[in-house]
Amino acid sequence: MNVPERPGSFAPPEPDLPNPLPRPEGEFEALERAWKAPRGLSFITAVNNTYVGLWYVGTAFLFFILAGILALIMRAQLAAPESDLVGHDLYNQLFTMHGTVMMFLFAVPAVEAASVYLLPNMQAARDLPFPRLSAYAFWAYFVGGLVFFGTIFFGLSPNGGWFMYPPLTGSKYSPAENADWWLLGIGFIEISAIAGAIEIIVGVMKTRAVGMSLDKLPVYSWAMLVFAVMIVIGFPAIILGTLLLEMERAFDWPFFIAERGGDPLLWQHLFWFFGHPEVYIIFLPATGMVSMIVPTMAQTPLVGYRLIVLALIATGFLSFGLWVHHMFATGLPKMSLSFFSAASTAVAVPSGIQVFAWIATIASGRMKLTTPSLFIIGFLFIFTLGGLTGVMVAMAPFDWQAHDSYFVVAHLHYVLIGGMVFPLFAAFYYWVPVASKRALSERLGRWVFGLMFLGVNVTFLPMHVTGLIGMPRRVYTYPVGMGWDALNLVSTIGAFMIAAGVAIFLVDLARNFRFASEDNAGNVWNAGTLEWLPNGNYATRSIPAVASRDPLWDQPNLPKDVEDGRYYLPGTATGGREALVTSPFDARPQYILQIPGPGWQPVLAAVFTAAFFLLLTVKFVFTSVICGVLAIGCVIWWLWETDPGPVRPPADIGGGVVIPVYVTGPMNHSWWAMIVLMVVSGMVFTCLIFSYLFLWLVNPGAWPPQGVDLPERLWPFMAGALYIVSAALIAYASRTLRGDDRRSPRSVPVLIAAALLFVAGASAADLWVQWRSGLSPSAHAYGAAVYAIVSLQIFFVLTTLVMGLYTIARWLAGRLDSVRRTTFDNTMLFWYYTVGQGLVGLAVVHGFPRLTGGL
Amino acid sequence: MSGRRTGQVLLMLAGLLAWAVQFTIIYGATSTLCGREWADTTFLGIGLIHAVVLVSTFAALIVTALALAWSLRTFRRLNEQAPPADLFMTQAGALTSGLSLIAILWQGLPAFILPACA
Repeated sequence: MNVPERPGSFAPPEPDLPNPLPRPEGEFEALERAWKAPRGLSFITAVNNTYVGLWYVGTAFLFFILAGILALIMRAQLAAPESDLVGHDLYNQLFTMHGTVMMFLFAVPAVEAASVYLLPNMQAARDLPFPRLSAYAFWAYFVGGLVFFGTIFFGLSPNGGWFMYPPLTGSKYSPAENADWWLLGIGFIEISAIAGAIEIIVGVMKTRAVGMSLDKLPVYSWAMLVFAVMIVIGFPAIILGTLLLEMERAFDWPFFIAERGGDPLLWQHLFWFFGHPEVYIIFLPATGMVSMIVPTMAQTPLVGYRLIVLALIATGFLSFGLWVHHMFATGLPKMSLSFFSAASTAVAVPSGIQVFAWIATIASGRMKLTTPSLFIIGFLFIFTLGGLTGVMVAMAPFDWQAHDSYFVVAHLHYVLIGGMVFPLFAAFYYWVPVASKRALSERLGRWVFGLMFLGVNVTFLPMHVTGLIGMPRRVYTYPVGMGWDALNLVSTIGAFMIAAGVAIFLVDLARNFRFASEDNAGNVWNAGTLEWLPNGNYATRSIPAVASRDPLWDQPNLPKDVEDGRYYLPGTATGGREALVTSPFDARPQYILQIPGPGWQPVLAAVFTAAFFLLLTVKFVFTSVICGVLAIGCVIWWLWETDPGPVRPPADIGGGVVIPVYVTGPMNHSWWAMIVLMVVSGMVFTCLIFSYLFLWLVNPGAWPPQGVDLPERLWPFMAGALYIVSAALIAYASRTLRGDDRRSPRSVPVLIAAALLFVAGASAADLWVQWRSGLSPSAHAYGAAVYAIVSLQIFFVLTTLVMGLYTIARWLAGRLDSVRRTTFDNTMLFWYYTVGQGLVGLAVVHGFPRLTGGL
Repeated sequence: MSGRRTGQVLLMLAGLLAWAVQFTIIYGATSTLCGREWADTTFLGIGLIHAVVLVSTFAALIVTALALAWSLRTFRRLNEQAPPADLFMTQAGALTSGLSLIAILWQGLPAFILPACA
């Protein structure tokens, strides 16, 4: 289809819209009622993406300010040589918390939060497919993040640097609980990020406007899709790393202790396999924002849409081949380094494609110099400079000179502030009119931009020189006469200029931001995308059908027709909250998803989850376990209300399209979520197997070490047989439930119970046989690695037990049958995964040492 | 997701997947062979590490070139009535494969310049 894309040049004839006017009486009121947000104290139980998204963005911005204040204290300390404003121990905590909070509590949550708000609006979905999961992710992050930040006031903050390298962070050199706060606090916040990523993947793929096929998907949605997939692939590495380091600290399992077969470099591999993609995890959503803002400001369609999508996907892949460029100084073979050097330069190509596409878009239109435009121009300037120094440090010989110096501090701030903070501020100024009754002030916005732009360059440009003349990063002071005094003073002045810019932004927010669920400021920029449609708590009145990437430009009557309810699903078919699920490629209507509304369950589950991890940090084990049990209880309470079944026959959503209100199997949204969860689990397990193999590599001739006997060959085969029988029983239960079998489906709970016994027996047998062989987890890294694989499997088996018992309970309560079987399907998928992981684990633990014969 | 759609996604990502496999093999092989001091082992007169890099790079290039050819062939066969998503996936596949060819070649280049385990 050849559609002219320039605004105003294409006015299609009035099509036959799916629903006629006037709309039936009471239809709109029922829709409003279903989506009404709770009032009073219960307001915090709201799950609408517009509420949760805004709280999420606000909290992320709060952490930006808090971490910024820590940076100002550090800059004040460094303004003059031999200053004693801050001592070395507090300084260590300050730089660790600054990096940690900026990366884990601001950057990733901020882009995830913005997408919780923006994605459904941009795709004209009523909400994300799992709104309670979003609420859970937010509250867990909110409670956990604030408690974690509070440690700075008690001298308990982590102090080993934001990447927490052992052996410094091992129990020998960091015996206090500071490091545990990082390991448990951040590990748990990563879980919250993964929950958000699952939501985003399913949301982008399954809940879009009708006709919004992949070629019409907003670039922001593409960016968030790649972002979420990268989280799913990258974050498990850091979750596993924190788990291993915490097990070393708590139980003395020597994964990173060299004298007992461990290796600190293993941590660096696990950390940076997450840590470098993390930079792109932050950057790609920001580029998605830029790709939405630039066409509006230039009032012309984006140039090179396909190339930009290609660039996003290619960056997602290539960014996983860069992690060792943080380890250039560790003595790895030069050819290995050069592989990463090559990938580090290659990744500049897709970034360059995007930059040229934006410049071409600006050149092909008439760019209005608004505040968002200024921040975009600032982003292009600062990020490009950061990219250039990035290519420099991608060269190993240069990196050896600049490593751990202020040059690197300058580079990373240019990349991160340029690549993420400036686009985020552009986004604030651009999208506030969607969420607020008033737009932000253009006059104040120019001041904010001016101070921040100058401030960033005044702060960080001199740092390149400071680093090249020898100042190492992370020193709390420096002597007079090193030539660093004036440069540091200039950097400090710049930092306070940035702070002044942010302060004016806060004033602007206070003066102009007024939350609007219905009467927002409107399409003040004449944008072409769907988030600018008139909306309320229910999102858009009806779900539009779109024919281009800029539907508001190409379908001039769209806002009015959508608001009048002339498009799809203008009311509520089931009387409750619903979303229209569409096919992932062509965005054809598939079914009506019944969405759960407000509830205390996600809030309480999040609070108890946070309490479990945080209390564990301070060794309140008993209370922590109680909180853990309560968290599981709340999740079960929450899930109990889901999987409602077909509460009514298929419904007509307009235009003769009749679709069901309940489906099962691969079309179901929770099936997709379970597949993504299995990929996350698979990545955790893959990273663990990588760790096992890495430790084998550094222990030639000692795998297993002398004096350790492998268990008899019979045991792994027995355990494997038990796993396979349990999976066969579940497969049989599935057939029975479906009615393929002539027997009564009453045997389903019995089959699940029997499968539970087999799967539990298999993992118990494997643990017992290792223990009986006399293998110690703390004597050598070999034992630690074996018990880590066995322990992870036990965790999955315990989860399977809970899911199996829950499925049986639903059966007994009459909430599971041959039609209403989503719960069973999810349990079945997870079961198969657990069995597969168990079999691979057995093969590695028992087969690999025999295969290599002690090499 | 139907089998046809899965095939389209795989074709679209084939070049980048080939790069990922090539990268994993060459880094894994270099680390393992250097770690076990097998760097001096030769295969047909070529050092084992260099041989692994060359073979895996060549294999990845072939896979990606095939994906590129397949994408271009499919694109030529699709007419204007084809679903827009199909046209988009095919074009994106061709672009991805083209970029991947350069990335794979670039990735294998160090083997022509540097010694294996120095």
